[in-house]
Amino acid sequence: MIRHFDKPLFFAVLLLCGIGIAMTYSATITTIDLADYWQRQLLFTILGAIALVTAALFDYRHLELLAQPSYVFLLASLVAVYLVGEVKSGAQRWLSLGITDVQPTEAGKFLLIVFLAWYLSRFQDRIRRIAYLLGVVVLLLIPLGLVYIQPDLGMTVTLAFLSGTLILINGVRLTHVLLGVVAAGAAWPILQGTLQDYMIERIEIFLDPSSNADAAFNVQQALISIGNGGWIGMGWGEGSQNQLHFLRVRHTDFIFSVIAEELGFIGTVMVLLLLFFVIWRLVRIADLAQDQFGRLITLGVASLIFFQTFVNVGMNLAILPVTGMTLPFLSYGGSSLVSMMVAVGLAQSVVMRHRKMDFS
Amino acid sequence: MNERAARTATSTSIIVRLTLAATFLVFCMRLYSLQIVSGDSYQEQAAVNRLREIDTYAPRGVIYDRNGEILARNRPSFVIAVVPADLPPDDIATEIDEQRIALERLLAVLEADSEEEMAIRIAEVMFLHLGREDFKNTVESAGIDLSFRQVNLEILKQDEDGREILEEVPTLIPDLAIPLPVGGLLALLERAVAIGTQGSSYRPISVLDLVDREQAFQVAEETYQLRGVHVLQQPVREYPYRDLAGHVLGFLGPIPKLAADKYKNRGYEDPNEPVGLNGLEYTYQDSLRGLPGKRLVEVDILGRESRTVNVVREPGPGLNLNLSLDIRLQQVMQDALARQLEETGAPHGVALAMDPRSGAMLGMVSLPSYDNNIFSEGLGEEYKALEVEDDTQRPLYNYAIGGLYPPGSTFKMVSATAALAEHVITPATTLVDRGPIYLPNFFFPDDPEQSQEFVSWNHKLNILHGPMTIIEGIGLSNDIFFYYLGGGFPNFMDGLGSERMAKWMRLYGYGELTGVDLPGEVLAFVPDEQWKRLTKAESWTTGDSYNMAIGQGDVLGTPMQVMVSTAAVANGGYVVKPQFVQQMVDTQDHVQWQYEPELQERMPVDPGLLAYVQRGMWYAVNGHAGTAYYSRVEGVTVAGKTGTAEFCAYDPEIQDCTDRDHEGNLPFHAWYTAYAPYEDPEIVVTVFVYSGGEGSAVALPVAQEILHAWFHELRQ
Repeated sequence: MIRHFDKPLFFAVLLLCGIGIAMTYSATITTIDLADYWQRQLLFTILGAIALVTAALFDYRHLELLAQPSYVFLLASLVAVYLVGEVKSGAQRWLSLGITDVQPTEAGKFLLIVFLAWYLSRFQDRIRRIAYLLGVVVLLLIPLGLVYIQPDLGMTVTLAFLSGTLILINGVRLTHVLLGVVAAGAAWPILQGTLQDYMIERIEIFLDPSSNADAAFNVQQALISIGNGGWIGMGWGEGSQNQLHFLRVRHTDFIFSVIAEELGFIGTVMVLLLLFFVIWRLVRIADLAQDQFGRLITLGVASLIFFQTFVNVGMNLAILPVTGMTLPFLSYGGSSLVSMMVAVGLAQSVVMRHRKMDFS
Repeated sequence: MNERAARTATSTSIIVRLTLAATFLVFCMRLYSLQIVSGDSYQEQAAVNRLREIDTYAPRGVIYDRNGEILARNRPSFVIAVVPADLPPDDIATEIDEQRIALERLLAVLEADSEEEMAIRIAEVMFLHLGREDFKNTVESAGIDLSFRQVNLEILKQDEDGREILEEVPTLIPDLAIPLPVGGLLALLERAVAIGTQGSSYRPISVLDLVDREQAFQVAEETYQLRGVHVLQQPVREYPYRDLAGHVLGFLGPIPKLAADKYKNRGYEDPNEPVGLNGLEYTYQDSLRGLPGKRLVEVDILGRESRTVNVVREPGPGLNLNLSLDIRLQQVMQDALARQLEETGAPHGVALAMDPRSGAMLGMVSLPSYDNNIFSEGLGEEYKALEVEDDTQRPLYNYAIGGLYPPGSTFKMVSATAALAEHVITPATTLVDRGPIYLPNFFFPDDPEQSQEFVSWNHKLNILHGPMTIIEGIGLSNDIFFYYLGGGFPNFMDGLGSERMAKWMRLYGYGELTGVDLPGEVLAFVPDEQWKRLTKAESWTTGDSYNMAIGQGDVLGTPMQVMVSTAAVANGGYVVKPQFVQQMVDTQDHVQWQYEPELQERMPVDPGLLAYVQRGMWYAVNGHAGTAYYSRVEGVTVAGKTGTAEFCAYDPEIQDCTDRDHEGNLPFHAWYTAYAPYEDPEIVVTVFVYSGGEGSAVALPVAQEILHAWFHELRQ
């Protein structure tokens, strides 16, 4: 069983985390308040690695039992947020647990993956019937709606992408897909009316950067940082845009720009290669998975990592609008790092158990 | 897994992998385009972000007197300023005006809300930035009432003939002595920042100046987290002798708005750079300033310097000036003149001292004077100038070179030289004072009733001087003698006439600037026949020649010109250029420039003849009944000439000259001009007291005191 543990995947993830620690150091060491962030990120990485291994040892098939409770728990926490949640910067996303505030949607991504993987694998032969498809769509729309009204457009889109990918991969009729597109098109005007001002503004800034000087400034500084890197970069800890703070939220949303400035084209392509290698390995695990549940869980994790990478890098490269999405394994942040590593651990659990004979 | 599902799985797996590869490729291409294709452009933008060229101050030259006493130096001081580009940009997504908040916090740190003095000082700096109109409009549009004071502003205008005249216009200016509420100050700050942004938004805009070291550090600490707030070093010019040499040294102020372009062409990039606006500070501005250095520094997003990348140019310190002026003599001159002004109640006066051999200026006092430090301390030039000019005595005015007065009898040296050189008389010629002379009327020569009476000053005292040669004529300052020289008398002798007098007046330096190294010298005209025809539409009469010969009528000159003409007698016929600055030295005390007196051509008069003019001045001091008896100085032979010049200050309201006495006589300016030692002149002194009265009584004692101090205390 252990010999099927995907070591290249594991070391690629650890390498990415290591780069993340180094870049966090470079991005925060010149700010007194944040100077210990790299140490905290190191601690999160160690915790994450332990969690990864623990999750790998845990048999993912037991999760099937937890699928339905997961969904109920997800809905319950979202409703709790709606009723008694903390409001921070205009959005009601946090639950106060006394010691710390948590954002239920962070864990919600994985709860949803588990639930969808269970539902889709359980009804795989019947999903081609419209009733089962509609069933999953309705079950999805409830949490999505609750997240949307928080409001958290980024998370809504993430969850939608995740769910859509899983549904499509699991297999649907072409006519149903077309039907879905038509339904979404019909719903668009209603949706548009409910878009929050800040969401519209972000899209507008993306289309016309001059409309908001401050946000456009951030994007522009990110582009300058990236361009400033050239072939080999300015060197670790030497990026002027980064070190002189022209680049903002540089240890989280814009860590990619820091990498590009200090490590240059060559270094950044290597980092991208690592990220895509991780996703590639996850897809490989999905192919090897002995059951549809494992396959879908792994693909869910892969699509989550892919989506966050795609949106974050796209934002840094100014080909996508600004969203507060972090770069997996690289951006500073404990909960996102640990949960990402748990997710990779689940995929490891799948690949370690892909041969049936191992269970004899 | 059934077969269909397996097929689907394989094809989705292929699609997924293709998507991954495509995304990776797109990102790599975009990265390539940003980092490699457009890399240069972005690297340039990154450089613009972090690199800033900063002017470094070059210490301004120090001014020393002839004995090495410091007359002007620099005192360290600090300025609290904001750099508009570094202020937080206003995020339109929020209701909050971030820039306003930043400025508000700065005002709070400076305690502008609680300390009245602070509010006044900030308002003064803002007044300087914005000017009268903008200041008023900004404060009023912030909904705050301003109080005003009325002052008379002098405005330069052109009359019909295109000449520039000063016109006094009553103007309301904001009264800055009343502290503004914070709202008003905030509006002013925002306005100043908005205007500053139009130029280079990296140029600091001062909010508070003249901050001492201790306060500067305190503010620097408290504003460390305030974006765009900087504490800069900006030395202040200091004049230790305060008002003692105010008119000589001048003062500094920000570049006047009207002259901004000229200064820019001369390489003055900062429109607020303090430059010399008067006196030697003005004349030698470029030398004193030196060359500001340039440093390339790396700044962070808050605009704070993190390190110097490159010193583009080291600052070149300004040159120090060594003057011929003796501040101790200056002190004597000022004290003596001030005492005399107080005693006579005269509004203003001038005392000058120069070396007649080289033109080196030893002292120059124009009273009232002003303390130049007021321009460096506190207010800016514009406002303070208004305030000082509010004073009717106009202390900013340098009467020594800016005032034109009839020279009176001090002009007799010119007439005497002319008469001798043009052979109107010989040294032996004797002319007799028999009392007033009567010039027949040009149109009714036979009617004695219509003839014009010309008297000499001594006639009013019932004294007749009788027969005289040129020596007694000058020594007794007899007017009859000079009437004859100037205009002759029908059927008796031919006088010089207007042309020859005008010629010699010019030879003595009148009608031209003396060229002293100070700004603001005024030019006097030389009256002659053509001038009178053109300006008065009258022809020249013998009476005009009479008046001109005694330095009355239309003859005008500055006290400086009178001194230069005296020096020309003393030094044997050379018109010298008065000069304060003798040397410019660099910080290593190497002489970079040395003044070489440029002697003009000697006047075309035989030195033997000029000696009689000198003798006449000797007689005035040392001869029997000489007019300048009391200017003798023990141990030195002084030669001098008094002057009591009638003048008419025409007042259109009464359609007559002001200040006539009960007999209807006009008031007099008091003059005395002298040199010593007679045998080998080394100092010439000229004293002028406006409306002072008798030259011998009012101006002479001042000159005597100056000469005494020079020969008995100061001269090495």
